[in-house]
Amino acid sequence: MKTFEYKIKDKVGIHARPAGMLAKEAKNFKSEIIIEKDGKSVNAERLMQIMGMGIKCGDVITVTVDGEDEEEATKSIEKFFCDNL
Amino acid sequence: MSIKNNAFGVLQRVGRSFMLPIALLPVAGLLLGVGSSFTNPTTLETYRLTNIIYEGGFLYTLLDIMSKTGSVVFDNLALLFAMGVAIGMAKKEKEVAALSGAIAYLVMNAAISTLISAKGGVEAMAVNSTTTSLGITTLQMGVFGGIITGLGVAALHNRFYKIQLPQVLSFFGGTRFVPIISSIVFLAVGVLMFYIWPVVQGWIASLGNLVLASGYAGTWIYGIIERALIPFGLHHVFYMPFWQTELGGAMMIDGVMVQGAQNIFFAELASKATEQFSVSATRFMSGKFPFMIFGLPAAAYAMYRAAKPEKRKVVGGLLLSAALTAMLTGITEPIEFTFLFVAPVMYIVHCILAGLSYMLMHIFNVGVGMTFSGGVIDLTLFGILQGNEKTNWLWVVIIGLIYAVIYYVVFSFMIKKFNFKTPGREDDDEETKLYTRADYNRKKDGSGKGVAKDTASAMILSGLGGRSNISDIDCCATRLRVTVKDEKKVNDGLLKQSGASGVIRKGKGIQVVYGPQVSVVKSRLEDYMEHNGDDDMTVLAEDLDVKGEQNRGSTGSFTMYSPIKGQIVRLEDVPDEAFASGILGKGAAVRPYDGKVYSPCDGVIANVFETGHAVNIVSDEGREILIHVGLDTVKLEGKFFRSHVENGDKVKKGDPLLSFDKAGIEKEGYDTVTPVVVLGCDDDCTVILESKGKVEPGERIFEIR
Repeated sequence: MKTFEYKIKDKVGIHARPAGMLAKEAKNFKSEIIIEKDGKSVNAERLMQIMGMGIKCGDVITVTVDGEDEEEATKSIEKFFCDNL
Repeated sequence: MSIKNNAFGVLQRVGRSFMLPIALLPVAGLLLGVGSSFTNPTTLETYRLTNIIYEGGFLYTLLDIMSKTGSVVFDNLALLFAMGVAIGMAKKEKEVAALSGAIAYLVMNAAISTLISAKGGVEAMAVNSTTTSLGITTLQMGVFGGIITGLGVAALHNRFYKIQLPQVLSFFGGTRFVPIISSIVFLAVGVLMFYIWPVVQGWIASLGNLVLASGYAGTWIYGIIERALIPFGLHHVFYMPFWQTELGGAMMIDGVMVQGAQNIFFAELASKATEQFSVSATRFMSGKFPFMIFGLPAAAYAMYRAAKPEKRKVVGGLLLSAALTAMLTGITEPIEFTFLFVAPVMYIVHCILAGLSYMLMHIFNVGVGMTFSGGVIDLTLFGILQGNEKTNWLWVVIIGLIYAVIYYVVFSFMIKKFNFKTPGREDDDEETKLYTRADYNRKKDGSGKGVAKDTASAMILSGLGGRSNISDIDCCATRLRVTVKDEKKVNDGLLKQSGASGVIRKGKGIQVVYGPQVSVVKSRLEDYMEHNGDDDMTVLAEDLDVKGEQNRGSTGSFTMYSPIKGQIVRLEDVPDEAFASGILGKGAAVRPYDGKVYSPCDGVIANVFETGHAVNIVSDEGREILIHVGLDTVKLEGKFFRSHVENGDKVKKGDPLLSFDKAGIEKEGYDTVTPVVVLGCDDDCTVILESKGKVEPGERIFEIR
């Protein structure tokens, strides 16, 4: 299991479009990818739940990756956040 | 359900809500009956008990305590009913209803009291029309005052306990609003009552003249009216003049002019010259004995026999104690209230029979008086011990035995014939409506009626491993806190699908995060658990489980209706890569003609974006739908948008969701084309677009297969 923290830089936070892209990215891996903020945690593949988090600019989220391809997945997801959020 | 059945159901609930205060009455009645009989100076002197029981002595004080503690319950019966009925009739958060009932009752009486003193005080009111309740001088309304308070407060409570007030006033919202609105409303009710009630009391008092003018029939009418007025607390206004004023007769006894039926009886009791008690006076009293000692207990037995065998033990206790109270002390409310509301017709029959009892006692010259009611205690003291020559008390027993048979037969017959829901005969499934598979399927087909459906709660419950797995539910500001028996049975996925944004596990403590609307989620869940059986829950859970899987690679077909009036646009033609590529899911878009968004389906609002530009709905079929007004409109940060729903709200197709200022948004340079997407639908889904170009809200825009 691997964990990293990320501070959202995108001005409007995780709204519909980035959520969609994140979910798509997450589906590429077998690992379970969990996004956590202020004690709430959701599976990154669950679009509606990600949108429901209402993650805003400046929020710090914790991403947990757990599964057989967690190394690779963590790298990709971390890159995804840096590129898009 | 027809209106009649509905009214019947409400009456049943009212009747049941009476049981809490009624359960107390037999005990209070015995204390009052025994205590007051043996502290009554006339009784004590007549039986020369003054040596043993005297004021200040141990026995007297003990009996006086019994009498006073019993009577405090009866004196405040209206308050107990105001609270008890509010508790019984409130759907949820019953403790708030109880508090509100008490407050409303105080406020109403305070309003009446102020008006009484403003209009010249008690002296200016009709005789016997006022009383003191909890230290407040007010109108004599008996339990009726408490019952209207309880019913009114419960109605207000059920209407407002979830009210959401504007942000500034939000502290006063929800359950806190209930006592506030209750006191305001009952201030007005109090004012109204001050003007209405004395008019009613006036009519009742004038009935007395009718009684006097019509002999034996008059006695019968007196009996009927006296019984019929008990629930309204009006009987005092009616019988007191007979007992205490010249309306009940005037007589010269031992050289003293005595007025009023009860005064005459006790004067005769004290006089050594009495050869027979004057029936012209006792006709206003003796009639109580046969139906109180014999009739009503037989009615209680009939109810006991009519109860379902498995419930007899439970209702037996209530009915037996109520019957004993009536027999011994002549306090009949405990029995009468058990059938008054569930079967008003039976009460009418009871009134008629009671009236006949008074008339028969009159005809057979029975001269037994009473201190305050017609139980065995009073019959013994003022009938049997006085001797049959003076009182003809044997007729009480003869008529009483016949009455027992009549009451038993009539009550048994009526209960069975009309299927009255007397104690122990309630249909279980009326309280706890079982959620049958048939109901569920019917609802799924869209033709179901009458069965409340709450998909979100069903999901939560099955996500928590079913009712049997839950040992405790509570909530804090944003989380549902549940203690489960087996944490392995908890299904995070299902919980999240229910609208939770996260699940936190700490051993057997599960916290499901819903945000500030969690108290609503909790209320609904508890509602749902109360009204749905467990077995069928599992069925529902299985169905939902399957759907949860289906959402990601769906096979079932699903029709989407337009949330907006406008022009259908292919999703691929939406100038935004995220939607056009189908990353979020499949669907279509609508180019709006106006700025109103309506719910395209029945479902639950999973998430309204803070900026009001988009909304997520979980449809009753379990589909997750995103309606996203305009492109990139998240950047407007809420300007031009207004949301009409909140997270967790249940919506019906056609309910307004959002409003937006179309012109304003376009002026700022944003496209208002509105994608409507079924989330999680990927390449396995085929979208069949409606060929029609323009749609009204609620018209089909696409189908997914």
